[in-house]
Amino acid sequence: MSQIEIADISKIYTIGDLNIRAVDNVSLKIEKGEFLSVVGHSGSGKTTLISIIGGIIRPTSGRVLFEGSDISSLNDEKLSEYRNEKIGFMFQFASLLPILTAKENVLLPGIFSPKEKSGAAGKAEEYLNMVGIGEKTNAYPSQLSGGQQRRVAIARALMNEPEVILADEPTGDLDEETEAEIMELFKRLNREKKVTFIFITHNLDLARQAQKQIRMTHGVIKEI
Amino acid sequence: MTKEFTIFSLALKNLKRKPLRTGILIVAIGLLVSVLVFALSFVRRVDSSIRITSDRLGSDLLIVPTGSRGAAEDVLLENKVKSFYMDKGIIDRVKNIKGIDRLTYQTYLVTITGVCCDVPETIVVAFNQDTDFVIKPWLTKKLGRELKKGEAIVGSESAFNIRLGLTEVDSVLFGSIFKMVGVLDKTGTGLDTAIFIDDKNIDEILQKGKANIKPGQISVIFAKVRKGYDPYEVAGSIEDSIIEADTVARKDIGKGLINTLRDINRIFSATVMLASILSIFLVWAVFSAIANERAKEVGIMRAIGAKENHVVKIFFLEVFVIGSIGSILGIISGTVLSLLLAKTFIILKNLSNDLSIAERISIGILSLFAGTGICVVGALLPIQRIKKLEPLLAIKEE
Repeated sequence: MSQIEIADISKIYTIGDLNIRAVDNVSLKIEKGEFLSVVGHSGSGKTTLISIIGGIIRPTSGRVLFEGSDISSLNDEKLSEYRNEKIGFMFQFASLLPILTAKENVLLPGIFSPKEKSGAAGKAEEYLNMVGIGEKTNAYPSQLSGGQQRRVAIARALMNEPEVILADEPTGDLDEETEAEIMELFKRLNREKKVTFIFITHNLDLARQAQKQIRMTHGVIKEI
Repeated sequence: MTKEFTIFSLALKNLKRKPLRTGILIVAIGLLVSVLVFALSFVRRVDSSIRITSDRLGSDLLIVPTGSRGAAEDVLLENKVKSFYMDKGIIDRVKNIKGIDRLTYQTYLVTITGVCCDVPETIVVAFNQDTDFVIKPWLTKKLGRELKKGEAIVGSESAFNIRLGLTEVDSVLFGSIFKMVGVLDKTGTGLDTAIFIDDKNIDEILQKGKANIKPGQISVIFAKVRKGYDPYEVAGSIEDSIIEADTVARKDIGKGLINTLRDINRIFSATVMLASILSIFLVWAVFSAIANERAKEVGIMRAIGAKENHVVKIFFLEVFVIGSIGSILGIISGTVLSLLLAKTFIILKNLSNDLSIAERISIGILSLFAGTGICVVGALLPIQRIKKLEPLLAIKEE
């Protein structure tokens, strides 16, 4: 059984009289611990695809199985639990809450989790150390560089020990050096923690570093 | 030890991000609650003062000289110094009215400092200890015996008592020397500022000629109605047969004040209602702006696992903090205002009863609920809207 199995999913957005097929009848299997990149032009359906996998949006049709369970049939509460416990998200921008320190941002998924919270502060510090900004735990996002903000977002994505990390252009606005550092970090985490990584990128060099690459065009997977 | 990071600490951080906006909301709620506390304190104080007075007088009917109903209420409810007299013979005529059970009477004498008496201006109440049921319960409790001729006892709030710290002193009242033998406990009536003497002293006072009273005059008759008789019907019979007297039933004591109070109450209600609507709109507008401002953050939180009820909880905690801080400040300022302004309102200044601690607490609790409730109502729609936000749409709104 694959960790994630997508069967014939489509996502149609309706704007006025217009129906836009963001994802069109896509099927895909992803194994546990895979390191996968998704490439494609803007509007090709990459973000919609990983949002469906992450349970942020529901497909118009088709099924998404996570370890055999159909997540597209879950109610809002169960879907939130799925996002909280199984998935770690990194968005196009660092997406940190500006009023929270680096450490509090990392602790954020934990406050929505029903799991025991003792030791959460120590764990957040541990993850911030792991991503290389242990000395910035009390800094606010505005006091951090773009690369440092990304690292906080990675630590936040890891906080609830997810099985899958979904990253939407995680290095989009970073310089090459920082981009390389972040990719190395991803690979290390994938190797050491056996976390499945699915990341969207426009950078083909980065995409090639993944074990498996997916190319999307007009909502359809063209190549694997 | 590191402070635990919780949903509550997140809500507090949200409030701290725009302190001026939070402050304005708190002040707005505070002002509203302040008006509410002041209005409730005012209305309740007048209302309870009238109720307590009419209950404690212990009689079903008050019989006063024709046209002196207002003056009698002024004395009994508002500590005012007034005198009014009728013929003592009316007592026997009232006794013959069907339905009358017990009667007692009082005579009110007004002191004039330096002319008749060496006490500040006040009412001296001469009462008949053989028939009395109004003062006696308080007298028995305090003195444990009857007042003798030449003895006086003062009310708990008598200016005389307050100024002299009275224990046992001699004073001149209407040319005669009276021994002050004690201070009554608070009765909660206008008579708390009076001085009480036995009716037997009246003859000597008349002989000295220093009181503005003629022989055979009294001020008020207190009557108890027999069981099974309607006080209003008995009052009607008295007024029909004794043209020189007016009657006031227990429930009608302070009726004039109550009517005035009703109008004041309406004004307060309209003010509080308008202020509440204004506050609801203010909270709605502010929380709508907050909801728009934080759409992306809510999207992020939803994406990383926050449930709808987590979002609702964060916003409601903010609302509760604003509502409760505003309400507490409003309760404090409203109470202080009601205490300070009490001296400037004639209607309050003359009332003998202040609100009890329990009454003030109940007004406080009611106002706390009202202030917080108004915040909740105002924020309800924006919160409902933001909890339904699609996380992806919110995140992509960069």
